[in-house]
Amino acid sequence: MSFTALRSPRAWLGPLSVLALIAVVFFLGERMNFGPQQYMQLILDGLRGGTIYALIAMGFVTVFNVTGIINFAQGAFVMLGAMLAVSIYDSSLPLMPAAKLVVAVIGGIAGTTLIGMLLERLTIYPARHSSPLTLIIITVGAYISMQGLALIAWGAKPYVLPAFTTLDIADKTFRIGGVVLKAQSLWIWGTTALVLVGLAYFFERTLTGKALRACAINKRGARLMGISVNRMSLLAFALAAALGAIGGIVVAPTTRPTYDMGLVLGLKGFVAAIIGGLVSSPGAVIGGLLLGILENLAAGVTRSGMKDIYSFIVLILVLLYRPQGILRAGRKPVEAG
Amino acid sequence: MSRRFSALISLLVLAAMLLAACAPSATPEPAQPQPAETEAPAPTEAPAAPAETEPAAQVGSTYKIGFASAITGPGSSLGEPERNTAEMIADQLEAQGGVTGPDGVLHPVEVIIYDTESNPDTAVSVVRRLIEEDEVQVIVAGSLSGNSLAIVPVVTEAEVPYISMASARSIIQNPETGETNKWAFKTPQENLHSARWQALYLENIGVTKVCHLYENTGYGKDTFNQATAAFGEAGLEIVYSDTFERTDTEFGGQMAGVQVAGCNAVVVGAIPPGASNVTVALRDFVPDLPVIHGHGTCNQAFIDLAGPAAEGVVSPCGRLLVVDMLPDDDPQKPVLQKYIQDYSEFTNGEPISTFGGHAWDAMSWAVEALASLDEGMSLQEQRAAIRDYIEGNIKNWPGTGGVFNITPDDHLGLDYEALTFVKVEGGRWVYYPPEQW
Repeated sequence: MSFTALRSPRAWLGPLSVLALIAVVFFLGERMNFGPQQYMQLILDGLRGGTIYALIAMGFVTVFNVTGIINFAQGAFVMLGAMLAVSIYDSSLPLMPAAKLVVAVIGGIAGTTLIGMLLERLTIYPARHSSPLTLIIITVGAYISMQGLALIAWGAKPYVLPAFTTLDIADKTFRIGGVVLKAQSLWIWGTTALVLVGLAYFFERTLTGKALRACAINKRGARLMGISVNRMSLLAFALAAALGAIGGIVVAPTTRPTYDMGLVLGLKGFVAAIIGGLVSSPGAVIGGLLLGILENLAAGVTRSGMKDIYSFIVLILVLLYRPQGILRAGRKPVEAG
Repeated sequence: MSRRFSALISLLVLAAMLLAACAPSATPEPAQPQPAETEAPAPTEAPAAPAETEPAAQVGSTYKIGFASAITGPGSSLGEPERNTAEMIADQLEAQGGVTGPDGVLHPVEVIIYDTESNPDTAVSVVRRLIEEDEVQVIVAGSLSGNSLAIVPVVTEAEVPYISMASARSIIQNPETGETNKWAFKTPQENLHSARWQALYLENIGVTKVCHLYENTGYGKDTFNQATAAFGEAGLEIVYSDTFERTDTEFGGQMAGVQVAGCNAVVVGAIPPGASNVTVALRDFVPDLPVIHGHGTCNQAFIDLAGPAAEGVVSPCGRLLVVDMLPDDDPQKPVLQKYIQDYSEFTNGEPISTFGGHAWDAMSWAVEALASLDEGMSLQEQRAAIRDYIEGNIKNWPGTGGVFNITPDDHLGLDYEALTFVKVEGGRWVYYPPEQW
């Protein structure tokens, strides 16, 4: 940002509004008698939710980068991951609970990845010459179909996946100065960190990962270099499905998975991806964490029931004022693919 | 570029619509089952012999009951057991050959079942079809309050007797004028009944300041409104209230609010899984505060989903839940036991829910009213006679939801004692009447 840019009022708008927001949060929190403990709790909870949003958002980003479409079926991957894992765990496999959980996690991710690939081959691939709008609508249809099928397969009732630490419905709880931390939160953060490292390695160090990135940067160029864009699209969906499934599985013990859990999680992941600019994985992670903290703080100091409203207000504001995401300078939206 | 972004925007709109459509307010109606009117040629007898083998009986015209519940959609946990119950009653009627009128003529009864898809628009259109095309005598429909409220004007205009399986008082009574909706009846107990029990209990354990957390649905809001009314009368103060979504995974905001509000008990208005998740959070954050639920949690699912956190939770619930523990002189006990047995047999061991019980009560009223019809009436007269019968003859009527006493001013006919009080102990609901508090 140049010196002249700093003199323009617009440049000050961002930092100023952030300060104003923090002031408003503290003012409202003061009225509720919130102490440091409450703020810490809200931020911690926000970080946990935000991590899940980040995982889902990375799925959006991966598909958008390679294919140029927004995959609204992403939420279904989250639900499928959790539901498949629950089904495997509840099955009568003759295994110790811990081994069974490992099988369930792997099975959930693998099964969802397979479904993601099938989805790409059966719906996106045949329509690959259509406009992005058509493809996006297809993904919406895919989401609704998958949710409907899930309703038939699993019914409307909520399921239970045990906490990873205790292998029981009740999780281990740490209390640090009144702030409550669930062991599952550590699993969520640890898993996400591992996934991030793995993804970074994949994109930076492997040929396939580089090919994926090449497709994202310039499709035609990639094709000229002998990269099969179609195969990369398949891979992107597989990756997105796996990311969604991981998110769904690690969050499952903190909630009670149902056939329709993917809708809200998918939309929040989308908001996180938009905040991050839709083309960058680190952006998606920052977007997810920001969204999680923001919605939790805002809801905590006002009414918690309004959490979702805040998320979508953030979405609208970002689309209106920073359609390129919060990380990138300049007002021009980024062309991907 | 701009094209992509306009695509994005339209998608957002679509997504928003989806969100709206998918988050309907499922209003659970807690309930319990049970049959049984002594004088009715009751549908409860599900015995064997097909009627045609009885040469003596004269066979009259076929009566039709129109049935619609939320078989799919977010209300399906309510609508499915209701549908099963309707099918069970249809089965029993078929086995008996129908209902016998006052003149001894046997009338076959057909139960026509549709799916409201948990959607008020669909509910209205299937009800119209039941009235106009199927020409049913009486309608039992609406698992959710919102759907039932949409049906009321339709049946009122067509002058068809209507029995709802949803809880909101406004289904049977105009909340502004206090006037009874002439053609609408309902079977589930109400949130006001729950709130009265909660207030009684809170007073009894010496609580004056209450936190109220409720899910962001029609049901949740009604629990809060009724609690505000009932707690106010009892001199209890709601010092903090907040909502949550059924799908929420974090409750940090609500818990922070409860911690700083200084209340001595937490009342929750929700159904599982939200009710279970919030209970787990409450146990983590405020382990010492008593947790009181409403009758939306009255099933085993609530306990299964909450795990050990559910221990010690108390709630007003229908008697169905604790039928074996009821005193033997409870007038509902035989009805409840019969319903549980019939339902388990019919569905091969599906779990019993109070929602199916609401359907049982409603269908039983309809069947009983059909049996009272004289020969030779027009469809319009039959419909009017059924309405009058239900209003005038459901007295001291033990059903699954309570002992009903319908009057022209009260098309439900239950007071708060239709519910009883229960507690979670050892992973199941146990009877916990005021004597034990």
